[in-house]
Amino acid sequence: MTIYDRSPHAAPHAPGTGARGHGHAHGPGFAPDRRHRLPAALRAPVEGRHWRELAYVLLSLPVAVTLFTYAVTMVSLGAGLLVTFLGIPVLAAALAGCRGFGVLERVRARALLGCEVADPEPVRPRTGNGPLAWTGAVLRSGASWRALLYALAQFPWAVFSFCVAVTFWATGWSLLTYPLWFWAFPVWGGQGGIQLYGDEQHAFYLDGPFEIAVTALVGLLVTLATPWVVRALTTVDRLLVHGLLGPSRLSARVSELESDRGVVVDTAAADLRRIERDLHDGAQARLVNLAMGLGLAKEKLAEDPQAAARMVEEAHGEVKTALQELRDLARGIHPAVLTDRGLDAALSSVASRCTVPVRVDVDLPERPAPAIEGIAYFTVSELLQNVSKHSRARSASVEVWRSEDRLMLQVTDDGVGGAEMSAGSGLRGLAERLDAVDGVLVVDSPPGGPTRVTAELPWRR
Amino acid sequence: MRVVIAEDSVLLREGLTRLLTDRGHEVVAGVGDAEALVATITGLHREGKLPDVVVVDVRMPPTHTDEGVRAAVRLRKVHPDLGVLVLSQYVEERYATELLAGSSRGVGYLLKDRVADVREFTDAVVRVARGGTALDPEVVAQLLGRSRRQDVLAALTPREREVLGLMAEGRTNSAIARQLVVSDGAVEKHVSNIFMKLGLAPSDGDHRRVLAVLTYLNS
Repeated sequence: MTIYDRSPHAAPHAPGTGARGHGHAHGPGFAPDRRHRLPAALRAPVEGRHWRELAYVLLSLPVAVTLFTYAVTMVSLGAGLLVTFLGIPVLAAALAGCRGFGVLERVRARALLGCEVADPEPVRPRTGNGPLAWTGAVLRSGASWRALLYALAQFPWAVFSFCVAVTFWATGWSLLTYPLWFWAFPVWGGQGGIQLYGDEQHAFYLDGPFEIAVTALVGLLVTLATPWVVRALTTVDRLLVHGLLGPSRLSARVSELESDRGVVVDTAAADLRRIERDLHDGAQARLVNLAMGLGLAKEKLAEDPQAAARMVEEAHGEVKTALQELRDLARGIHPAVLTDRGLDAALSSVASRCTVPVRVDVDLPERPAPAIEGIAYFTVSELLQNVSKHSRARSASVEVWRSEDRLMLQVTDDGVGGAEMSAGSGLRGLAERLDAVDGVLVVDSPPGGPTRVTAELPWRR
Repeated sequence: MRVVIAEDSVLLREGLTRLLTDRGHEVVAGVGDAEALVATITGLHREGKLPDVVVVDVRMPPTHTDEGVRAAVRLRKVHPDLGVLVLSQYVEERYATELLAGSSRGVGYLLKDRVADVREFTDAVVRVARGGTALDPEVVAQLLGRSRRQDVLAALTPREREVLGLMAEGRTNSAIARQLVVSDGAVEKHVSNIFMKLGLAPSDGDHRRVLAVLTYLNS
């Protein structure tokens, strides 16, 4: 998928903005106006992001020591008591405590590393709400044991990364600032400068102007390298928090599917309501009216044939309108041409109903699964309706193609732009529907246009 | 006029038979699916009693998709003199293009609803039987809407657009004149204006005229 970044600031991703730069929605106020005069590599050591990461690593040590001590103590206690009935509740309490620490750790990671990790699956007793049921549930929950594993695994890593980070940071800054404080050696240290090498006969001190300059340069290099070292260290922390404190992949998928199923059920229910309403207000009402008109005409036939003829005429008009409405309704449920001839023909037909001229370009080697075809069809028809209603465009185009195992579609118009995926909008509804089949909707619509909406669907399912 | 009807709904088949008989046409046979239609036509052809026109529903057993269109295309290939009028719940420009492809004689493609206007419907049947064209106004609207020649079409006056639409439906000049309540001469003038603006060579024969217009809109 191609996202065209129009902001003047788009070029190389600085460490300070990199990881979060791939937003999907482009709205006003997205592009920062501030231009940095320093290149990214020089800016990194003084940037907020680096300080936050450093703070994380420094904090990790006391946190890890506490957590490790707690976990080892409580688990040993619980394990030791297992022979008595007390062991199990103690063990459960140990695990629950680890989960509690997990909450804090997720908050810390979110605040300092910007690492968004969802809560793991909650403890759900299968039967009842008593302490026994809760104990069982805590012990059975995979998330509890993963929290314990985190407490154990994080400790050695925290010690290691603390040492590395502090060493790098302190060395870098002290050598960089060496020209400012080397005078302290002759005044208080009784030597010319830092002793680089020395045995009984020789000693080499960093005291000449050239050596001081080289020392500062080395300090600068180490200082510049520090943010990357710290970032590499915190990457492991991110993985730990993600892997051990987040929801397991399976449970994440389950909750995703649960919400997808909710959307599908809601959409289906809403569609049924709409069809029912359309039938009730449209065709049904017309048929009632028609029956009434014909009934009247039948009675009038003998006494006033002319009036009867007029009524039959009206009824004839009414029944034709009812047929038209039924046809439109059926097309809205599922267009026959889609089943018979596929997306190309069906989309051409939709395009011809659009109020602006639409170029349709479907490039598919074969037909995708019917369900996917249907969703692609309704996505395009809804997007073209938006083009008709809101865009004030002069022309639009629809492109559909296959990219490996994805079906891609893109609707572009030259209208006023400013389309947003805000809550309750048609676009949001569309995005939710696509999401339900693991699809994606990307809207690129800067104010003033043009608008480009791209959707991605799985090829088969 | 001798007619064969292929329509799977017995109700509608009887209705069509009644309607056409009432107007003085002879319904030679009524069948319920595409296979039977082809078999019947082949049988009649062997006896030398090929009908003037067949009226075919698009959706028929066994798959209820587009066997009507496919049977129609097949019949037109084998029997170029046979008029084929396809009726459908929906009209799609795509089917119209398939039906019109590569033949110069009677073809029709109408919404089923059009049977409600008895006069117009029987006119269309007769027109197709005589080798003319009957395209549904909705198909024509789709063709006009999606044509890539919007700039040229925009140069037509509203009346000319109206005449162009009726022409694409397959109407004769006098039928257009009747519909628009103007003189035949006025229609002729509009038609020659349209052909000039579209840059088409004026062609004689209503069916060839339709093909020229449709080719233009589709290009």
